[in-house]
Order: sequence, then C-alpha cells, then structure tokens
Amino acid sequence: MEVSRLPLSASQRGKLIYAGYTSLSSLSSVSSSELARDLNVSETEALEILKVASYSGWLDGTSGSHAIVNGAQTAWDMLHEEELLRRITTSSADLDDILGGGISCKEVTEIGGVPGIGKTQLGIQLAVNVQIPANYGGLGGKAIYIDTEGSFMVERVLQIAEACLEDMLDYDVLLHKGVQACQVKMQPKDFLANIYYFRICSYTELIAVINYLEKFISEHKDVKVVIVDSITFHFRQDFEDMALRTRLLSGMALKLMKLAKKFTLAVILLNQVTTKYSEGSFHLTLALGDSWSHACTSRLILYWNSNERYAYIDKSPSLRSASSPYSVTGRGIRNSTSNCKRIKMM
Amino acid sequence: MNPENLLQHPLPTPKCTTGCPLIDRFLSGGVPTNSITELVSESGCGKTQLCLQLLLAAQLPTTLGGLASSSLYLHSEFPFPFRRLHQLSLSFRSSHPSLFASSDPLDRIFVHPLHSAEHLLDVLRRIDRFLEHPPTLFPLKLIIIDSIAALFRSEFENKPSDLKRRSVLFFKISSKLKLQAKTFGLAVVVTNQVVDFVGSSDGMNGLRVGNLGSLYSSGRRVCPALGISWANCVNSRLFLSRNEEVLGDESGLVETGSGDFVAVQTKRHIHVLFAPHLPNSSCEYIIVREGVFGVERTATDLQKRAIK
Repeated sequence: MEVSRLPLSASQRGKLIYAGYTSLSSLSSVSSSELARDLNVSETEALEILKVASYSGWLDGTSGSHAIVNGAQTAWDMLHEEELLRRITTSSADLDDILGGGISCKEVTEIGGVPGIGKTQLGIQLAVNVQIPANYGGLGGKAIYIDTEGSFMVERVLQIAEACLEDMLDYDVLLHKGVQACQVKMQPKDFLANIYYFRICSYTELIAVINYLEKFISEHKDVKVVIVDSITFHFRQDFEDMALRTRLLSGMALKLMKLAKKFTLAVILLNQVTTKYSEGSFHLTLALGDSWSHACTSRLILYWNSNERYAYIDKSPSLRSASSPYSVTGRGIRNSTSNCKRIKMM
Repeated sequence: MNPENLLQHPLPTPKCTTGCPLIDRFLSGGVPTNSITELVSESGCGKTQLCLQLLLAAQLPTTLGGLASSSLYLHSEFPFPFRRLHQLSLSFRSSHPSLFASSDPLDRIFVHPLHSAEHLLDVLRRIDRFLEHPPTLFPLKLIIIDSIAALFRSEFENKPSDLKRRSVLFFKISSKLKLQAKTFGLAVVVTNQVVDFVGSSDGMNGLRVGNLGSLYSSGRRVCPALGISWANCVNSRLFLSRNEEVLGDESGLVETGSGDFVAVQTKRHIHVLFAPHLPNSSCEYIIVREGVFGVERTATDLQKRAIK
C-alpha cells in the first residue's frame, strides 16, 4: 500500500514522501519521535500519522508490517537506529574521541592491559557514567558489575561518583550561568544502589551468572551496561581440556552478544595480558587465545608509553585504529595532563 | 542468585592497621580485607618486619584499626624469626597494657612452614575448617604468606611447559585465597622477591607493570619475581625500596675530596605500584627496635633546617 493512498492531509502526505516514506512498511518500524524529526512536525502530529498508517495497514491486511514479521531490518534502518543510540562516556574526551563518542551500546567491547594500567578503574568509571541522567547527555541507566578478581572497592566507586556529581554541578552552573539553583538530585550513594554487584569465585559461578543475566535484565530493563572484571581470571586455572575451555568461552561470548543486541546494552569484558611463546621468543598478548579474539565486537588495548597511559583500538568494525593518552586520577579516568606539562617545561 | 547490595557494604572496606599511623594514612587505613596485597622487595628491606608487625596489629580491636582477630603466618623462608617476633610482641604489649594484661599476643599467632607450592595449596584447603570453627575466641582474619617467590623459584625451570604449569598453580592459589578472603573477610598478604632487570629501557614499555617506570633498590634496577601471570593474581602491589643517600651539607660532613669519610644514610621507601583504591604515591619509613614506622618527610626536613 502506498503512502499516497493514506487518509491524510495533502501536506502530511507531501512531507512523508519528501522525507522518503513512500510505503507503509517504511512507517511500520519508525518511532513517533524519529518521524517527528524527519518530517519536521510536532510529535503528537507524528503519532497521529502513525496511528492512521497502522490502522490502514491493519485494514489492508496483506501488505504493511512485513518488516516486523520477518524480523528483518534494512541496513538503512540500522544506521538510523545506531545514530540515535547514546554512547557511554569514559570521562576522558580524548578516549571518547577515538571511540567515536564513547563505549557503544549493543556491542561487546573487550578491554585488555597489564596489571595496574587501569582496567578496573575504567570499569568502575563506566558503571558510574552509565547513570548520568539523560538531560546531562547520559543514559540514565543502571549497571551490572561482575567481579571475579575482588578488585572492586566500594570506597573507590564512591570517590568516582562524587567527582561525577561535581562535574554535573559544574555543568549546571555553566549552563545557567549560576542563576538557577542546582538541579542534580542524585547523591553519591544513589550511584551505589544502581550498580548490581556480583562477586564470583569460580568459573562455574561465572557461567551460571551469565546464563541468569537474561532473566535478570528482562526484570531490570534499565540496565545499560554489563561489566565483567575480568573474564579471564577463572579460566586460567584447572583447564586440562583446552577444547572445553574454548567451547565454554565462546558459548559465554555468544550469550553476551545476544544480550547486548536484545536489550541494547553495552557489554564490557576486561581481559588480562599474558606472554605468548612463539617462534622461539616471548611477546605480550591478550589472554585466552586466538579463538577468543573473535568473540568481541571491538577490542581496546591499554598500555604504557613511557610515563603515560595509552589506549589503542585494536579491533573495531566501524572505528579506525587509533590511540590516545588518558590518565587515572583521584576523580577517575580523565584526559592525560602531560600536554600541559610539556608547555610548562618549555 | 542475587546481586549484593553495595549500600550494605561497610564503608570504607575494613582494613587491618599496620601499627603505624603514618603508614596507615598512606595505605588509607591499612591492609584491606577481602583482597590480596603483595609486598615486593629485595631481601633486607623489611618485608618480614612489616609482616610480623601485621601479625600483632591484627589483634587490636576494630576501634584501634585492627581486626580483633588471630593471624596465620605461612613461611617458606627458614628459620622463622621467632626472636624478633618476641621482641616486637614485648613492645606491642607494653604499648597496649590494658588489652593484653592477661593474655600473650603470641598465643593468637599461628605459624606453619611451607615446603612447596603444592604444599601451600594443601594447607590452604585444610584451613577451611580452621576458618569456620576458630579454636580461639578470635577468628582468623589475617593470612600472611612469606614468601610466595621462594616456593616457585627453585622448583620450576625456565622452559615453556614448566612456566605453564607454574602459572596454572598461581591462579589456583590466588583463586583459593580470594575465595577464602571473600567468604571469611580475610586480609591476605603475600611477599615476593625481586629479580634483576636485564634488558633495554625501551623493551620495558610493553612489560611495565604498575606506576613506576622502573624500580631501583640498592642502586640496582629490579623487577618483581614470578612474572606477569602472578601480577594478575594480586589485587594490590606495594614495593619496598632501599637506597643509600649521601648526606650533604645538612650534616656538615661534605666530602673534601681527600678520601675522607662520607656520611651515608639508608633511605627506605614504600611505593604503591598498583592498587584499586590507592593513588600512585610513596612514603618513607624506618625500621627500629619497636618495629616499622613511617617518616613524615616534611617534618624531618623541617627538623633538619631547625638544626642548621
């Protein structure tokens, strides 16, 4: 059925066709806010149009909504959807830059590096940043933190949450030129309440939790990030049967990827670094082997470059490989300060 | 299966005092429970001294920063420094006369020797019952392993198959310790040795672990023993260093160039290499008869200036 045959006003039909909505099926998967933006009309008007379209589609019976029935989506729609997705900021503008605005939802991102480089710090930072309310450019979501190593310190979370709140207050002052009273109603403790924390002591427990996540998240739809710190720890002991390990790991990766897609959330897997022996020499590589490196959508490697921490995009379907410095401060992950230092030294 | 409520976690995480307020402040309260803290240094820097002091300090009530617990000392380096522990316990007792009027702090310290890495695993498995049903009124809350390196450095060769077997053992030991630490709220301290660092300074970039670009102790460039696998197994790593400093004009003993004596002082520092809750920092300390104590650098500098 064509849009031109819908019982709408001529101007609305004109706008629809002008914006590229020629068939009913193209209207079936679009939300009212998207339509309002595309047509440059108010949201209530867009809603009316959608109502009319779905009613006509239902009358028509045969055509319409086949896009939904088959579960198929065109790449064009997916692009639109992706552009609308908010990303989770890392609190370092440089790092966000190379990540295309932050950690993307719907993807599994692996972050690896040597001990002490700041993997856990980045994990905690993301668990806090996902909670930044939407009017501050955040997601206003909640976090699941799966801790296998015991490095998650509540006092550190509180520190980072306090700094995050301060930044939000600064933003308020900047925006309203200090005239209006602050609008942030969150307390540092609220950040803690919004992190679902699982402490895992064996690999069987880890698999159990990941199997349970689907049920848990469908009950807690506002979860927007799942952080596993680290995916590696329990898989580096007790495995004589390496084939079993590979199977378990890839099974887990598939589940996590499915979760990311289904609930539009970001999955962050922290990985350790190990030395790999090949061709007579040792060199550093991320743990869990070659087959694991296929498991994640994107991969970020953290490393030292002289006295600075750097992040490097090792694998990503959409971002070019790039690196940027960052630093771990008392307030959390921030931009590296060395640029300022260099100026001072000169 | 339910997530833990973070609001019900005690804040901050319970810590075990080191017995010195300055070092406690540096460590933001002491050695954290539910986690593994590693002390790395060459021999003679005061690892064992600090460990012995912790064994005693853990017995203090929580109001004084302790864990109100007994402690377990697993040692792989022989002999056990009993005389030193006795000496420390006397001064410890005299500084807390009311607490230990009727009991000897040494009664709450359990000591067990270790002979191999497998033996350590075996001991850890066997203390589960001990942890659940403590024989004294004071539950066991502190386990010290001194040293983990000695267990591994003799038994394993530097070839791929041995290294793999070794790292599997690391992760087994670490996950057992972490499980016990979490279940029973233990503070776990392990000590580690250093090896000389051989290689170019450029080659260090990839392998660098922790805050300091390079570790110096006694003028040598060193790195923690047991490699990167073990570094993944601990939550926090502290580095104790010892370096000789020539005392300059403050003491008035300036070298005249004719072969006179130069006053040399050993300066000891404790550095945070990595820790989830601590920033990159360091603290000077001294070892005296009564134990290990932090030194406030600014205070001593002021003192020196006053003397001048």
